[in-house]
Amino acid sequence: MAGDILEMTVDKFLFRFPSDLLYGPAGIWVRFEGARARIGLSDFTQQRNGDVAFAEPKGAGTRVGTGEEVALVETIKVNLSVPSPVAGRVVEVNADLLSSPELVNQDPYGRGWLAVLEIEDAEAVRRGLMSAAEYMALARVEAEAETRR
Amino acid sequence: MSAKPRKIPVAACSGIGKSLGAAAREAAYVLAEDLRPGHAKVVALSLLVMGDEEASREVAGREALAIDGCKLECAAKGLACAGAAKVRKVAVFDVIRRHRGLKPEGVCDLNEDGLKLARAAAEEAAGIIDDIDAGGGCA
Amino acid sequence: MPDLPRKKVGLIACSGEEMAEGTVTRRAVRTVLETLRPGDTVTLCLPLFLAGSEGERAFARFYPTIAVDGCDKRCAARATAKYSARPAASIVVAETAKERGCGAIGTARRLNEAGLRLAGEVAARIVEETDRLLAKKPRGAGRGSDRGKP
Repeated sequence: MAGDILEMTVDKFLFRFPSDLLYGPAGIWVRFEGARARIGLSDFTQQRNGDVAFAEPKGAGTRVGTGEEVALVETIKVNLSVPSPVAGRVVEVNADLLSSPELVNQDPYGRGWLAVLEIEDAEAVRRGLMSAAEYMALARVEAEAETRR
Repeated sequence: MSAKPRKIPVAACSGIGKSLGAAAREAAYVLAEDLRPGHAKVVALSLLVMGDEEASREVAGREALAIDGCKLECAAKGLACAGAAKVRKVAVFDVIRRHRGLKPEGVCDLNEDGLKLARAAAEEAAGIIDDIDAGGGCA
Repeated sequence: MPDLPRKKVGLIACSGEEMAEGTVTRRAVRTVLETLRPGDTVTLCLPLFLAGSEGERAFARFYPTIAVDGCDKRCAARATAKYSARPAASIVVAETAKERGCGAIGTARRLNEAGLRLAGEVAARIVEETDRLLAKKPRGAGRGSDRGKP
């Protein structure tokens, strides 16, 4: 993973945000790979939702619009419908998650990726996403609101 | 007259931050008190890791069982640290994957799903205790 | 030095599985965290702490902690001092039980009514220490909300 990693501490929790990624508002990261986008849960999203018991991305060939469900992630706390941060067609899913869903928690930006989508208009897609710094600011507001609850 | 076999030491992670830790702790009690009384003994994890002599004597050179809440495996590491010859493991996190739909809640007072999960983990642990007993283990 | 926001107190319970007093520590700490001082406290997980968690150990290095132990072996207090920094306060349930003249408090698996009351007493002591560490004005003695239900 290239580039700097921004870090945010809230109480005893440390959250990381690689600066070479872009982020959707629901905390889904995006790594552009040419005309494709690899996606996964951000460190903040995975910590917030708990240990992943099942991670089930939509199958290869599925078309999703921005904000439509691209994966179902079941943690010990919640069943999370993961909204796609990009519009495109799923071309690859992470088969390792079948046997090792904990990868989403242990290595959210690496081996814990969810799916790869083929996208049509990369520039338009990029404009709709946040930088690491922007997303971290949003995450801080959400984290501090939660600790006050 | 043969000597009474020693109980197999069982350490639970007892993680205080998550319901899985609470389920691990409860599973240890279900195992030692309900399912295999006389065959399993709960040992305090913190005593083991802090090097308490009495606790370490229960474990050193013996086969032991760890019941952990998550993949961080604090109990398994603690038993290894205390010198257990072999550490068998039950991961509550894996047990929950075999009982899909359970949503354990609570730390001091587990909800119904949490108690079910603890029971399921204890039953798997009981199988391991039987296996150790049958094999003689390093008792 | 990490970015340090609002000051909070870390509570670390021994959770000793072999004794009812260990279960009291756990219940008392959770009561403070969830009900009595939810915005002022954080729990530190002793097993994670002992296993080397950077989050737990770093917190204990930079913020005040209260160790809550079941017995005088003081695993939580010793571990905190060994791996991070000496706790700012240390409470031992067995000592509190003796001061209060508690009889049997149940088992490690299930506290009885006396055990639940003892957990409430310990929680109140944790609150006193928390308020002191956060330099809050002391509350009036005997206020029901500070006793809390375990």
